[in-house]
Amino acid sequence: MIDFKTVPNRTEELLNILHPLVREWFFSRFKEFSLPQLFGVMEIHSRNNILVSAPTGATKTLTGFLSILNELVGASEAGVLENRVYAVYISPLKALNEDIRVNLVEPLKAIEGIAGKSLGIRVAVRTGDTSPSEKSAMLRKPPHILITTPESLAIVLSSYRFVDLLKAVEWCVVDEVHALAENKRGVHLSVSLERLQLLSPGMARVGLSATIAPLDKIAHFLVGNDSESPRSCKICDVQFVKKMDLKVICPVPDLIDVEHGKMQDALYTLIDDLVQSHRTTVIFTNTRSATERVINHLKERFPKNYASDVQTIGAHHGSLSKEHRHSIEQLLREGRLRVVVSSTSLELGIDIGFIDLVILLGSPKTVARALQRIGRSGHRLTSVSKGRIIVLDRDDMVECAVLLKSAIERRIDRIHIPSNCLDVLAQQIYGIAISSKIHVNELYALVRRSFCYGTLSLSDFNEVLDYLSGKYISLEDRNIYAKIWHDPETGFIGRRGRMSRVIYMTNIGTIPDETFVTVKIAGTEQVVGKIDEGFLERLTKGDVFILGGDKYEFLYAKGMVACVNASVYRSPTIPSWFSEMLPLSFDLAVEVGRFRRLMEEKFLHNRSKAEILSFINEYLYVDSNTADSIYNYFREQFLFSEIPTDKKILVEGFSDKGRVYAVVHSLYGRRVNDCLSRAVAFVIARSQHRDVELGLTDNGFYVVYGKNVNVAAALKLLQSEKLELVMKNAVERAEILKRRFRHCASRALMILRNYMGREKRVGRQQVSSMILINAVRRISPDFCILKEARREVLEDVMDMPTAINLLKAVEDKTVKVKSVQTGMPSPFALKIVLESQTDVLKIEDKIEFLKRMHERILEKIKDK
Amino acid sequence: MRVQAPLPVCCSFCKPLFTLFFSLFVWKSGTVLLLPGLACRLGLYVRKLNALVIGDVHIGYEEALNRRGVLLPRFHFQDVLSSLEGVFRFLEPELVQHNGLFSEIIINGDLKHEFGSISGQEWREVLKLIDLLSSRCRRVVIVKGNHDVVLGHIAGKRNIVLVDDYSADGIFICHGHQIPGKVAFRKAKVVIIGNEHPAVSVREGPRVETFKCFLRGRFRGKDMIVMPSFNPVTIGTDVLKAQFISPFLKSGVRNFEVFVAADKVYAFGRVRDLE
Repeated sequence: MIDFKTVPNRTEELLNILHPLVREWFFSRFKEFSLPQLFGVMEIHSRNNILVSAPTGATKTLTGFLSILNELVGASEAGVLENRVYAVYISPLKALNEDIRVNLVEPLKAIEGIAGKSLGIRVAVRTGDTSPSEKSAMLRKPPHILITTPESLAIVLSSYRFVDLLKAVEWCVVDEVHALAENKRGVHLSVSLERLQLLSPGMARVGLSATIAPLDKIAHFLVGNDSESPRSCKICDVQFVKKMDLKVICPVPDLIDVEHGKMQDALYTLIDDLVQSHRTTVIFTNTRSATERVINHLKERFPKNYASDVQTIGAHHGSLSKEHRHSIEQLLREGRLRVVVSSTSLELGIDIGFIDLVILLGSPKTVARALQRIGRSGHRLTSVSKGRIIVLDRDDMVECAVLLKSAIERRIDRIHIPSNCLDVLAQQIYGIAISSKIHVNELYALVRRSFCYGTLSLSDFNEVLDYLSGKYISLEDRNIYAKIWHDPETGFIGRRGRMSRVIYMTNIGTIPDETFVTVKIAGTEQVVGKIDEGFLERLTKGDVFILGGDKYEFLYAKGMVACVNASVYRSPTIPSWFSEMLPLSFDLAVEVGRFRRLMEEKFLHNRSKAEILSFINEYLYVDSNTADSIYNYFREQFLFSEIPTDKKILVEGFSDKGRVYAVVHSLYGRRVNDCLSRAVAFVIARSQHRDVELGLTDNGFYVVYGKNVNVAAALKLLQSEKLELVMKNAVERAEILKRRFRHCASRALMILRNYMGREKRVGRQQVSSMILINAVRRISPDFCILKEARREVLEDVMDMPTAINLLKAVEDKTVKVKSVQTGMPSPFALKIVLESQTDVLKIEDKIEFLKRMHERILEKIKDK
Repeated sequence: MRVQAPLPVCCSFCKPLFTLFFSLFVWKSGTVLLLPGLACRLGLYVRKLNALVIGDVHIGYEEALNRRGVLLPRFHFQDVLSSLEGVFRFLEPELVQHNGLFSEIIINGDLKHEFGSISGQEWREVLKLIDLLSSRCRRVVIVKGNHDVVLGHIAGKRNIVLVDDYSADGIFICHGHQIPGKVAFRKAKVVIIGNEHPAVSVREGPRVETFKCFLRGRFRGKDMIVMPSFNPVTIGTDVLKAQFISPFLKSGVRNFEVFVAADKVYAFGRVRDLE
C-alpha cells in the first residue's frame, strides 16, 4: 500500500531510538529536528520504504542518513559492525556524490570526536571517475555506505566480486528522484534497484525528492511491484514548508510597442538593479546559449559591476568543463560571486552556499521546475525563497502569471514516467546475462517488478531476447551481432564472448551522445557553438540562422564542422533550432486555458474594464501594470477574432503571400501539439497528396497547404481510436524518429561508443541516422529497437495519450472546435506563426518529389 | 514506385532493389546523352569504347562500421550485385553488336573501403565481384584509388594488375585524388573521375532530400565528369555545401552541371542554379 504519512513522529520518539553519541552530536549542531526528520527518521529506522518530498535546503539528506548513521554507530559501539555495505546512496550527479561524502564524513568525525575514538565506519564514492586502485581497495575494505550513480550501480551489480558485498544491504537511498523519474536514466535505475533487491531482499528504499507530482506515482516508481501490486511505501509530503516570495515582473510598462533595443536596455537594467540590491543571485535561463548571452550583455553594459578585475559573475551549465563548474561552485560557497547564470545544471541540490534571490528569465514551463529553481534561494528551511520571473512578451506574461498562481496555490503539474522502454531493457538484460545464468521466466518476473516495466508484454520481452541473441541475423554472421547466449530449450540465458564484460562496462548508460556539428567562423578555429546534425541537413549555402543570439551565414560544411560568416546583416532565412526548448506542462497549459475561458466569459458578458481588472488582480496575484497589459491583450484578441480556451479550440484561417495558413489555437503544451499538428497535417497531406508544412509551439500550431482545406473538419475527422495508427504513419519519415532511433540503438548497444579499445567519438566516422534506420527497417519494420524509437517519439517526446484524450473530448463535445477567417494573424496567433518549430509532414514519394523539383528547375533554367 | 505507397517508405534504398528503374549516362562522341527510364543509376557507359565505368564501390564498408562498434547487419554487397544486374540488363541492347560482352569494365578506384587490412569477407567479396565482372567483359581494369593500398594482393589472385589510370581515344579515367602528370592526361579531351561521391540536396520549404549525382564541368580545357559512388549505403557529399578535397575540384563546382541519378538521370542545371 502506498499512503501518505500525515502525522509526524514526536521528538521524544526519535530521541529514544538515537544512540547517545549521535544524539549528542545532533544537538551540538541543530536546535531541534526538522519537519522532514520528524516524518522520515523513524520510518527509515524501521526499514520501511519511504518517499520524502521537500524543497532544497529542507535537510532531506540528513533525514535520509540520520537513522543509517545511528545504526552504524550503534553497531560499531556494540562491536558488531560487519564488513559489508549497509547502505547504498544513489544520486544522478557525480558532483552531488562528493558533496554527500563530505556531509557524511564530517558528522562521523564529529561523533568520533565525542566518542574519543575511531568507530571504523567507512564511506566511499564509486563513479565513472573512481580509479581501479580505489575500486580494489573497496573490495578489500568494503564501505559501509556506498555512494554512487545509477550507471556505476549497474556496473557494480554485474561485477562478481562486488556483488558479494551487496547481499545484505539494508537501505538504498535514491536522491533527487524527481530528476530521474522522468527520463530513461530512471527507467534504467528502476531495474537496477530490482536487481539489488533480489540480492538483499530485506532492503528498504528511501526516496528523496524536490517538489514534484504526482507523489503516489513517484513512490510507486521508487518501490516497484511485488507480485503485480505496488510494494508498500509511506509518503512524507513536506513540499511547502518553505515560505515563498514570488513575483512576475515586466521590464517595461507596455510589452507591445517597444523596440527590441529599448526592451534589451530595460531588461538588463532591471537585472542589474535586482542583482545589486541582493547579496548573491542565481539567474536561470532556459537554454545554454541564453546563459552566455546574458553574461555578455551584463559585462558589456555594466563593466564596473561585472567586468572588473575581481570575478563577480560566472556561468554554470552542462556544456562547460567540470573544472569550470567546480570553481564556480566553490566561489559561490565562499560568497565571492554576485551572480551566476545557469540553465538547468544548478537545479539539483549541489551545495552552492547562500543565495538570496533567484531570477527566472522567461517561463520555466512547469510549476515544479519553477519551485525547484526558486527553492535554491534561502537555502535554510526557515528562510524565505525569493523568486522573480521576468517576462518578455505577452504570452509569456500570461503563462507566468498563471504559473505563479499555481505555485502559490500549490498545484504542481504531473510528470510523465516513460514505461516499457525496450532499449533500456536490452541493456539491462545484457548486464544481467553477463553476471550470471538466469532462466527467462525468472528474468521476466524480475523486470516486471520495476514500475517502469509493470505492464511489459511477454512478446516484447521475447523480441528483446531475440535481438540480444542475434536471431535476426543468419547463423554464419551471428557471432558478430549476438550479445548474449540463449538456449531456447532450457530457457536459460547467459554471457557470450570474452569481450562482453568490457563492452558492458564501457558502453553503459542512457544519456544519448548528441550528434552535434561544430560551428566555426570560416578560415579560423573560432568555435561559436553547436548545431544538430538534422539542422545542418537543412542548411544551404547563404542561409542565415541564429545561434546563441547572434546571426551567422552558412558557407560550407567540412565533415562535422559547419563554417560560417559572422558579419551578416540579412534577416534569418531559416528558423532557429528549437531542440533545446523546454515543453510547457499539460497541467499548466490547461490552467492557462481555464484563465482564458474565464476572461472570455467576462468579455462576453460585457463586464466593464474595472471589473475585469479587479478579477485579474484577484485571480492572478499580479500588480496593476501587469493586469493592465493582460487586459489589453485579451481585449485585442476578443475584438479581432475570438478567445480560444481550454474548452474551445479555435482555428483561424488566413493567407499570406499566396500561402494558405490555418492557425490552430490548442493551448495544451508542445508535447500534445507535436502530436496533434502532425496528425492533422497527415490527414491534409493524404487528402491533397502533397507535403504539408507545419509549425508548433506550446500554445498551438499552424499548417500551410496549397488548396483550401477545412482544418477544423480535419481535426474532427481524426478519431481518438485511430490516432495511434495515424501517428505511426505520420512520424515514419520525420527527422525526430531518425534522431531518436540513433539514441535507442546506442542504449540497446547496437551502436557502441567504445569497442575493441577504440572510443568512437561522435562526429568522427559519423554514420548518418538515415543509414542506420534504413538498415534496421530492412531487418523488420517492427524490429524492437525501431519500435522503441517510435514509442519514445510518441510517448516521451510527444504526448499521444493526452492527445487521444483530447480527441475524445472533441468527440463527446466537451471541447468545441470553431473556425474563423481572420485575414491576418490575430494577436494570440502572432507568436505561433513567428516562433514555431517547423517541420514538414512528408507524404510525397521521394522520386515524385524529385520529379516535381526537376520540372521546376527546368522552368528556371529555360528563362536564362 | 509511382503508385502512392500505402505506408510511407523512407527512400529508394528501403525498397527491394529489383523494383527500381535505373538510368545511365551513355557517352557518345564527346557529348553526354541521357537515356531515360533504363538501366544503372550509378554507372557510366562509354559507347565508343564499349566500356562500363563504375567507381567507389567501397567493399567492406559495413564491416568497417562493425569494427567501429556500429553493429548493423550487412546489405551492402548484395545491393551492389543487384545494382550491377540492373546495369547489365539495361545495357543488353548496346552489347548485341559486341557478342554480349563489354570490351572493358573499369573500376575507377576505391573498390575496397579499408586502407590497411583485408578481412576474410573482403577477400571473398572482392574476388566474387571481379569474377562476376570478368564474366561480362573481355578485360577488367582496376584503377587505383586512395583506399586501395592493399588491393593489389587480391587483384593479383586473378592476374589483374592495378593501374594508376586508364586512357584511350582521348578519354582519361582516374580516381581523382591527385592530378596525373602524364602526357596522355595532358592530351586527353575528356577526364572521368570519382573519389568525391557527389550528391545534391534538393530543397522545398522545410523539406530536404539528398540524391547521388553526376557532375559535368571543365578542367584545364577538358570536359570532366565526376561520378557518384557506387556504394549503396552512403549517399555522398552535398555539392551545395561541401568543400571538396580533390585537386580537380579545388576551384569550385559552381559552374558544373548536375545530373541527379535516381530512377533515371535528371538534368538539374548548374550547381549555382540550385544554390
